[in-house]
Amino acid sequence: MTWQFFKQIPMSEKKKKEVPEDSKLDDIVESSRRDFLKKVGIVGAASVTGAAAIYAGYRHEKEKPSGEMVKVLTEDNRLVEIPKEQVKDYKPDLKALQTRGRVGLKGKKWVMVLDLSKCRNARKCVAACQGAHHLRPYEYHINTLVMQESHNTPAYYMPKTCQHCDNPPCVSVCPVDATFKRQDGIVLIDNERCIGCRFCMAACPYSARMFHWQKPKGEEADKGQEYNIELNVPQKKGTISKCLFSADRLREGMLPYCVSACPNGVFYFGDENENAVTNGTTKETVILSELLEKNGAYRLMPELGTKPRVYYLPPKNRIFEFKQWTPPEYIETT
Amino acid sequence: MRSFFLVILTSLLLLPELKAQEWVVPDDKKGKLSTFSFDDNTRKAGLKIYTTNCMSCHGMPGKGNSLKLVPPPPDPVSQQFQKNSDGELFFKLQIGRGQMPSFKNVLSTDDIWDVISYVRSFNTNYKQLIMPVITSSAYPGSVIKMVLSYNQADSSVILETSAVKGLSSVPVTDAAVKLFVHRTFGLLPVDEEKTTDKNGKAVFKIPHSLPGDTAGNINVSARFTNEDVFGAVSMDTVLNSAIKGTAVSLVARRAIWNNMKNAPVWILLTYIIGLFTALAFIGLVLMKLRDVFIIGDTLSKGGENEVNN
Amino acid sequence: MTTSHSGSARHKERLDSVAEDVLRNVRFNRGFILWMGFLSAVLLVCLYAYVIQLRKGLGVTGLRDITSWGMYISQFVFFVATSLIGMLISSVLGLIGYKWVKPIARIAEIIAVAFAAVAGLVIISDMGRPDRFTYLFMYGRIQSPILWDVTVVTTYLLVSLMLWFIPLVPDLAIAKDRLEGRPKLLVKVYEILSIKWVNHPKQVEILNSTIRILLILIVPLAFAIHTVTSWLFALTPRAGWDSSIFGPYFISGAFVSGTAAVIIAMYFYRKSYKLEKYLTDFHFEKIGRVLALVSIVYIYFNINEFLVPAYKMKALDSIHLQELFSGEYALLFWGVQLFGLLIPTILLLFRQFRKPLPMMVIALFVLAGSWLKRILIVVPPQAHPFLPVQNVPIQWVIYKPTLIESLVTLATLILVLMIITILSKLFPVLPIQELAEEENADLEKQEFNN
Ligand code: SF4
Ligand code: SF4
Repeated sequence: MTWQFFKQIPMSEKKKKEVPEDSKLDDIVESSRRDFLKKVGIVGAASVTGAAAIYAGYRHEKEKPSGEMVKVLTEDNRLVEIPKEQVKDYKPDLKALQTRGRVGLKGKKWVMVLDLSKCRNARKCVAACQGAHHLRPYEYHINTLVMQESHNTPAYYMPKTCQHCDNPPCVSVCPVDATFKRQDGIVLIDNERCIGCRFCMAACPYSARMFHWQKPKGEEADKGQEYNIELNVPQKKGTISKCLFSADRLREGMLPYCVSACPNGVFYFGDENENAVTNGTTKETVILSELLEKNGAYRLMPELGTKPRVYYLPPKNRIFEFKQWTPPEYIETT
Repeated sequence: MRSFFLVILTSLLLLPELKAQEWVVPDDKKGKLSTFSFDDNTRKAGLKIYTTNCMSCHGMPGKGNSLKLVPPPPDPVSQQFQKNSDGELFFKLQIGRGQMPSFKNVLSTDDIWDVISYVRSFNTNYKQLIMPVITSSAYPGSVIKMVLSYNQADSSVILETSAVKGLSSVPVTDAAVKLFVHRTFGLLPVDEEKTTDKNGKAVFKIPHSLPGDTAGNINVSARFTNEDVFGAVSMDTVLNSAIKGTAVSLVARRAIWNNMKNAPVWILLTYIIGLFTALAFIGLVLMKLRDVFIIGDTLSKGGENEVNN
Repeated sequence: MTTSHSGSARHKERLDSVAEDVLRNVRFNRGFILWMGFLSAVLLVCLYAYVIQLRKGLGVTGLRDITSWGMYISQFVFFVATSLIGMLISSVLGLIGYKWVKPIARIAEIIAVAFAAVAGLVIISDMGRPDRFTYLFMYGRIQSPILWDVTVVTTYLLVSLMLWFIPLVPDLAIAKDRLEGRPKLLVKVYEILSIKWVNHPKQVEILNSTIRILLILIVPLAFAIHTVTSWLFALTPRAGWDSSIFGPYFISGAFVSGTAAVIIAMYFYRKSYKLEKYLTDFHFEKIGRVLALVSIVYIYFNINEFLVPAYKMKALDSIHLQELFSGEYALLFWGVQLFGLLIPTILLLFRQFRKPLPMMVIALFVLAGSWLKRILIVVPPQAHPFLPVQNVPIQWVIYKPTLIESLVTLATLILVLMIITILSKLFPVLPIQELAEEENADLEKQEFNN
């Protein structure tokens, strides 16, 4: 809901310039465009704020005369006008990041669909994810696995993320609420809280979790950076990490890192409440229920009752041949 | 789905040719120009769109780290890329070819121009030409307007188009139009492409599987398919479709996996009762030890009688 | 009048001689100091290993994402298991009315206290962030079995301590006047801890009822701690852990390892404390029967635990069982089952083997087997998760404990030994008062000899 509201502002602003009424077209275009960007500015800022009231700055327009009122979105989603002089830039601190990260995005139910018939093991998703979350080449939030049940059944590649289960065994067993489920369905980790007991790893049937056995890759580089629970960066030694559905990107209205990195159109991502998912490669938006139904979608190990939020479309009618991939020899590094 | 595969299949079969073959843009599209001038703001907006939509294949501009596809996606800084005219770039972004997706249903006309404005910033020799006025070649001198309304009875959206010139207004007939519903990550085409009737109207069916927000509102956009004839006219409206979306939080009910506040009652009770019973017994034992002590203490002070009573 | 007088005189005499025998060992002799010195030296080395682990992270162990629980957790399970013996001996057998458990009960409680106390530390050695240990109390989630475990282990430790301490009170009162030549401080400690005990009938009455409360309370607690420990595994969906008999399987196994530990301790006290008079062949014979009995029960649960899934051979179960029966862990598995359980049980069925020395040797095998069995319970089920293990360094696939890990594990064992040593060196290991009163014991012994 929140997000739709954000979206409306720029759209309604934009239509102005497409109906040019006088010769000073350039000016109009110019100013409405600036308006538009201001609003996007608000959206951007508002979407990265969590605590207290949100004051998003008009960074683009320092020249405006004072006494003017500006529209900003408050945390409880009201559009209010305040004098421009009172607008301050807002940088969320740890507490705000934690609070908003634990609450999640209201009205959303994120869902991922992976079309196995398109996966050629490009491993771009893995690389993008490891880049974003500062992981080593053998530390995975997402991993592409070769799956083959028996030699008569087909071999295929299966990118495997955390399934963000609706009945998550990993969350059940956590003793300190360090891993938890949010209202939008994402299972997150708070590495400021995790005691490193690894019970959640033992409980997760999808082997979706990893542990920082040693000092994380980006420890020096990330020093001093505020911990963002939605990105799980900086990573910390002695704590758990795992796929987060790129909660930080979703907050900004962008598709997850892996989804937009895939060159083969494997990933669809969207909001179950809207019954629509968007393909990360073609950016095509389709109706979720139709996509699942037409392709015979399934979830991994439904018999365990974990109710994953990730759906798979079977590797049917592949237009390429399965090529066995030999992984490089992974060597542990410090 | 099948047609999608066919497209990919054909494009794969054509690969060797594509590699050698230039991507030819129809002559009438080559000269297309933006209606607004590029500035820092458009470039910023373009950068954002580029990052989400293009970077995964084309890489960071100037870094030469684009994907190894066939044909290779060119680096925006490259000569090969920049020699395209604005119109050619616009066409290629909008229509796509092979592995280059079509962004027709994803990015609006303005979005595409924003991206072009961003990639042009890597070309110091670039001088922008602006198309002065949007004109409709079919209705010269008119301003094209669209109005959308929702019909509850058969859950359909009615689009009315008109060409306004001064005070007179005529319907735009025989124009291909499309309707989109806004979803979080893109525009979802609904129903088929329609052609306006003699009253300038087109009716789109909204499928029941498309919920609005909790109030039942949906955000829709209508566009002419052929923007060269009718201009980049589009209409965005919020309609009340009455198909209310659900916004039930996934953590609302009590469950083992939920936080302590939402733990199942039986588990809380069992734990607390168990713990307190054990503590009560331990307390009782400590009290008894105290009694032992008191008796001994009294005895040592010669209180034999007190104890025996 | 005269009979009762002579009776109390005889009692006094007996008390004197028992006290003399038992208290002879309450002193800091050379042996004690050397032993403690040795333990401390080893402990220091082990602690250095732990410091390395703290600095570099758990990466210094053989644990990785595939097998993320290893020796530490096995050690924890083993400790909790062994500590259950306090409940079995003093409570179950005591409440049934077996008199012969009297001299053993305190030994069992010492073992219970020592193992339960260090179990918590073992868990800390396994934590990635031991500095956040307090979070368990600040942010504890009641739904997590770890929280249940922390709660019951703490409670069990408390109650075991009480069960050790309360029957000790009369002995402390008896002993405090007979400690010539011991440090003043020790006498003072005895004085305070004897809580003004004068053996007044009212005191005796209260004390006995208190002990009875504790004996009853400890039964559900002991069942709880080990059942909850088994649930750490059984509540996850992994093949090899996902078993509904894990609770009783663990508890029956616990009795085996605990009884073995008690036998070893008994043998040691009998020899080095010169308590042959009190820890007689008769006691060994009896506890030998207990070990045979609990081992048979454990064998029964083993059959259930392995035969049922082995018959069905469900996909992941079959991989797990093949690893155990004929794969990576076959040698360990059959070694443990045969030499740590089956053969000892058979031997114990013969009276000749229920003598102190052979039984001590058997108990050593059983105890070692119990420890290795815990590794077999914890480690192999992790090696084959539901989804294939791919694209990771090869060392990750098979768990191999490292030296540092072994040293840290050893550290916890040394702590247990230290606690046992201190408790049995500072305080009487046998109940003086009860032994002095125990007139029927001789009769029972005669019965047995016939
Ligand atoms: S896939 Fe594993 S880590 Fe992710 S929610 Fe499910 S159980 Fe938890
Ligand atoms: S390792 Fe961390 S997140 Fe996992 S169960 Fe333990 S405390 Fe919770």
